[in-house]
Amino acid sequence: METWKEFDANELTHSAAHHLLAIYGVGATYGGWARVSDIARRLDITRGSVSITLRALKRRGLVETDEHHMVKLSDTGQKAAQAVMAKRLIVKTFLSEVLGTPEPQADIDSCKIEHLISDETGERLARFTRLLTSGDPVAQAVLALFHSSHGDCPDDGNCEVCKGRCLAAELGRAI
Amino acid sequence: MNGVRADVISDLNRLMAEETEAFLRYFQMRFRLRGRGRRRAEKFFENALKETLEHAEALARQIQSLGHVPTLHVDLVLSGEPISAEEALAEAIDVEQQALDAYQEFLTRVTGDPVLEDFARKQVVIEAAHVQDIREALRQDPVFALVEKPTAGS
Repeated sequence: METWKEFDANELTHSAAHHLLAIYGVGATYGGWARVSDIARRLDITRGSVSITLRALKRRGLVETDEHHMVKLSDTGQKAAQAVMAKRLIVKTFLSEVLGTPEPQADIDSCKIEHLISDETGERLARFTRLLTSGDPVAQAVLALFHSSHGDCPDDGNCEVCKGRCLAAELGRAI
Repeated sequence: MNGVRADVISDLNRLMAEETEAFLRYFQMRFRLRGRGRRRAEKFFENALKETLEHAEALARQIQSLGHVPTLHVDLVLSGEPISAEEALAEAIDVEQQALDAYQEFLTRVTGDPVLEDFARKQVVIEAAHVQDIREALRQDPVFALVEKPTAGS
């Protein structure tokens, strides 16, 4: 499958991931059970919208409901929610502690990415972040070099990253 | 303002959003329907969208009568995926059930206020009848028994 199509075929949509996290969050104080109204309030959407998404999540075995219309994550749903939360934290830590992205922006960007990256990439990113933020002198030196660098482009306009074109310029701002 | 609590106005606005969103959902759902029972399900959604719009209007009037201007927050993207009549009706039950639950919760919060309690009680009766009609029809036949019945309040 072409990569861009994988975005749509992703295991969890952005909306589904947020529903799982909302159920997890609301249910935390009620033995895992959450009311649709509380999920709707947390996500700032209508109860009708929540109910439609819950149908899809239930069909996939990610949530369970009872006769009082209460909702709970299934074991699979619990794992999926925890995986999303873990990836969000990994990405956020990488962005803020390695790249130096300001925390509010790191929060926003990690929220956008959390459900899109694979478990394998998440795990590798965690390892990489752990290495770079460890006390290892080489890692510390690399991190210090990165933070002191201003990303100046080479005079001949060519570098290993850009390969003949200036990606920094294409981002719409100078690094 | 008129002694009405801000949270009651907020509840009314939220209920109006539920009804308005259901209206938009039903409006678009008619064009997604495919397969057996499509035409009759279309008829059902035509009736349902009129009813939800009437409910939204009633809520807006209620808010206005309390001295406020309705505020509407709807955040909706509707897929164009084809859908069977049975699945569409099952979704409609979920949406209607949520509306019923919302009106029931609202009723408990306005009990003691003669005007709002009466309004909420009427809506609960209408929504309960509507949900019951859909459930009963789906029990008898996934599609065909449903849409011949007039919807509650229409």
